[in-house]
Amino acid sequence: MSTTDTPGAYGIEALNVWCGLARLSAADLFAGRGLDPDRIDNLMMSERSIGLPIEDPVTNAVNAARPIVDALTPEERDRIELVVTSTESGVDYSKSLTSYVHKHLGLNRHCRLLEVKQACFGATAAVQTALGYLASGISPGAKALVIATDVAVVDEKAEYSEPAAGHGAAAVLLSDRPRVLTMDLGAFGNYSYETLDSARPSPRFDIADVDRSLFAYLDCLKNSYADYASRVTDVDFTRDFDHLVMHTPFAGLVRAGHRKMMREQGAAGATVDADFARRVAPSLVYPGTVGNLCSGSVYLALASLLDSGVVTSPRRVGLFSYGSGCSSEFFSGIVDEQSAAAVAELGIGKHLEARARITFEEYLAVLEHNLECLVPVENRTVDPEPWEPLLARAGDRPEILTFTGVRDYHRQYAWR
Amino acid sequence: MTQAPIDVRAHTAELVKEVVTEILPGVDRDLIGGSRHLKDLGADSVDRVEIIAALLDRTGVDAPMSAFSDLPDIDSLVDFLSGAPR
Repeated sequence: MSTTDTPGAYGIEALNVWCGLARLSAADLFAGRGLDPDRIDNLMMSERSIGLPIEDPVTNAVNAARPIVDALTPEERDRIELVVTSTESGVDYSKSLTSYVHKHLGLNRHCRLLEVKQACFGATAAVQTALGYLASGISPGAKALVIATDVAVVDEKAEYSEPAAGHGAAAVLLSDRPRVLTMDLGAFGNYSYETLDSARPSPRFDIADVDRSLFAYLDCLKNSYADYASRVTDVDFTRDFDHLVMHTPFAGLVRAGHRKMMREQGAAGATVDADFARRVAPSLVYPGTVGNLCSGSVYLALASLLDSGVVTSPRRVGLFSYGSGCSSEFFSGIVDEQSAAAVAELGIGKHLEARARITFEEYLAVLEHNLECLVPVENRTVDPEPWEPLLARAGDRPEILTFTGVRDYHRQYAWR
Repeated sequence: MTQAPIDVRAHTAELVKEVVTEILPGVDRDLIGGSRHLKDLGADSVDRVEIIAALLDRTGVDAPMSAFSDLPDIDSLVDFLSGAPR
């Protein structure tokens, strides 16, 4: 029996990511900034997504979710009763980003709209809360759309975090038809406490205490898994998860986290390396070419696993979501060959490959404008003309929503 | 019998040198100590994670990784590991 047909099953029906129109190689960024190239190995990044000034958190969210929405019948679309955006890149202190997303996706008006913020954990918090709503049975057959969306506002002051910053969105449709991931309801563990490991105190820049952040991530991995293990009988980290999918600020941290967890289970040496290659590495391919997708990161990693070709039968996946500040969750679910087929339909790998390759000099020109993306202004025009050559270098792409400016504080968009 | 604290510290300082040179093979052992931070020895963030994780593993110290976030230098690291509960 496929996971989709399991009575009482809930989870992810569809998953898509949008990771922007351009990309820059990590080597070029390291060279341009004069960073130590020896550190690329530990970063485990080959390139990162770069947004163009005609993109913003709203366009990323819409461009990620639209293929999912378009694939639904009108009746199915009308069962989307909850739309949540998760972002660290809000565009207003009061008006929810979701209101723009809801409009441009053409969703029905009998919908709950919400924007959430919990750093890179926000989307998973929303996913779990939404699944609780669906599984409560108060609206049988309902669907919820959760979209993690962000833009990068870092420059050379971020030093080695700049090459790891990402751009884009991940959209997950949740329902009682979990074609992509059947959630192990009730199997979860949390670990959260206050710390200032990273933050965005201004719409123009991020701050980060690197050691505090990495150490908090690792403490949360250990303790959220311990909380999970306290709820699930006789679970074994090394035995019971066929694959592991983790929040990936950069792949090198995931490798270190896996090694630490395995060491604590008594494994060492070549066993750990082989386990990493088998259970973890398939989820790191996309993150290694996109950068940190913030709260969408764990779902980008899930897409990477499902597109890797290794999921050919039912497998249990352990997922770890972490957000600075901090809050975290270890949870799990089942994927199978149908999951891989469902994600393959959306052509994520093809889209990532179609991103225009830009030079460091072109990146600097784009960055100057991108740093203004979230700054609230009454009026602003985003002229697409300077970016047409870059847009033309992006390969085949679907129709996308673009950001055209702000009029009387109202953000403006156009399809093209 | 309880080991004298000074021996524990000396042993811990040697262990720190051992672990750091395993992760950073090119580093001069004599530079591993004092008011230098691991960053000063060329350890990037992942190297620092690996060093702290290995030290927790080998000392049996029962402390969260976050307890190491504010230690200003290697002497403080040795002091912390020497005095921490195991």
